[in-house]
Amino acid sequence: MIINSSDQVSRFTWLKRFPIPHNFDVMPDSRIRPGRTWPAPAGATKTKAFDIYRYDPDSGDNPRLDRFHVDLNDCGPMVLDALIWIKNKVDSTLTFRRSCREGVCGSCSMNMDGTNWLACTRFISDMATPATIYPLANMRIIKDLVPDQTHIFAQYAVIEPWLRSKTPEPEKERLQSVEERSRIDGYYECILCFCCTSGCPSHWWNGDRFLGPAVLLQAWRWLNDSRDEAKEERLDNLEDPFRLYRCHTILNCTRTCPKGLNPGKAIAEIKKMIIERES
Amino acid sequence: MDAKPPPLGKKAPRPRPLSPNIQIYRPQLTSVLSIANRATGVLLSLAAIGLVIWISAAAAGPEPYAVIQRALVSWAGQVVLFGVTFSFFLHLCGGIRHLVWDTVHGFELRSIYISGWSVVAASAVLTATAWAAGLFVAGSR
Amino acid sequence: MNRQSFRSPLARALGLGSAKRGSRHWLAERVTAIALVPLTVWFVASIIARAGSDYTAFVSWLSTPFASVGMILLLIALFHHTALGLQVVIEDYVHSGARFAAVIAIQLCCYGLAVVGVIAILHIAFGG
Repeated sequence: MIINSSDQVSRFTWLKRFPIPHNFDVMPDSRIRPGRTWPAPAGATKTKAFDIYRYDPDSGDNPRLDRFHVDLNDCGPMVLDALIWIKNKVDSTLTFRRSCREGVCGSCSMNMDGTNWLACTRFISDMATPATIYPLANMRIIKDLVPDQTHIFAQYAVIEPWLRSKTPEPEKERLQSVEERSRIDGYYECILCFCCTSGCPSHWWNGDRFLGPAVLLQAWRWLNDSRDEAKEERLDNLEDPFRLYRCHTILNCTRTCPKGLNPGKAIAEIKKMIIERES
Repeated sequence: MDAKPPPLGKKAPRPRPLSPNIQIYRPQLTSVLSIANRATGVLLSLAAIGLVIWISAAAAGPEPYAVIQRALVSWAGQVVLFGVTFSFFLHLCGGIRHLVWDTVHGFELRSIYISGWSVVAASAVLTATAWAAGLFVAGSR
Repeated sequence: MNRQSFRSPLARALGLGSAKRGSRHWLAERVTAIALVPLTVWFVASIIARAGSDYTAFVSWLSTPFASVGMILLLIALFHHTALGLQVVIEDYVHSGARFAAVIAIQLCCYGLAVVGVIAILHIAFGG
């Protein structure tokens, strides 16, 4: 009932999903059709069922949900291992992003059992049976579990995520005290996996204009950097009914962050800073 | 978006599907209390209309007031009033939780969950207390 | 690629740019919320204390200066808070041209209802 950190898997279940029709607010092209069931390979001893979202852009068909049977005795412990096992042993067309396989790169973010997390740091043993795997929620899908992140990265560019200075460049680097540096702890560690932005209902309904938790956390990281000299422009750029104030402190972001960061808190800091500027 | 006619002899490209969001995302205390705060807020807006009707009836005289009062003490009226009371306390407690967040306090996940369940418990207790007190006062008249 | 537009992704994300406002709306919602905490608790407690009382008792309570001032403050804060809150709800869910019309309608209704309520209180307080 009480969640102490975001890596805690929810055991307490009232509802697996909101009680709405499966195709509520879904355009005809995005509706998920039943898919095929892939049998477990011969000789599999301990299998677990995985329901995985599939979309093949070349087929012209709608997305579908395929069921795979993974042989746990032949597969590593993480969900990413299961996906790689499926790709190697069952269906080589299964497509997903992955790179570091240790929660550092943020490539394999996806929706597992209804919440967003990194496939490489989620244990198969923590998954329901059957385990359900969708791509990050509310994204345009290129293929299978690969979402098109063009828009969210463009939103990232909107906040100009680099040091903006006005004083002439010093001879050496721009200095920061240990205390000043420590103020961006908890904000600079973001790996841009977009688990939070994809889990934010406000970004679902108004993602075209609302910047979303990941980008706003980065905005605070630069606002909070003692070396940055563009607070005025940054705050002007953020103060907008949609860009910033579409955040209603739902806090799905803080619940889902695979790095244990706190986008909700960062956004509250920005709102507070804007009020401090005015009064 | 600007619609572009497809090149001659070619089918219009299929738009990329949108991955499911609310259809699959797991309800959590965070999102459930947020939507509850919003739903109770909308319900209380309707109750606010009722409040104005009630006061206006009182200003209009004893007869119009008696009509409203009869509706309120009816079985259906009491159910609605109970719902409004619970909505009020949930929105009040949830609102105070939001005001605390606005001062950038209580953002650790543990605090978020403790304050969330406290809001649920407090609104249930306050609703029960308010109705017990109301029924006691009305009964002792 | 299945482009429906040749606008660059950045142009799309920038949209019409920042409105450079929004903090007033946000702050007003908080200020009215703070005002509503004591006002609504006082109102609910007063109603409970008068549960089952008749018309004369109710009107004589409402016509005391303390109660009528409290009720007028309550109505102003309540409907201001309601107008601000419902505007956000509409902006969240309505994406058609009806959005602007709905926001205007909400504001007119809320401020109209506040005036009706305040006049009714004054009518009771000064005995019509």
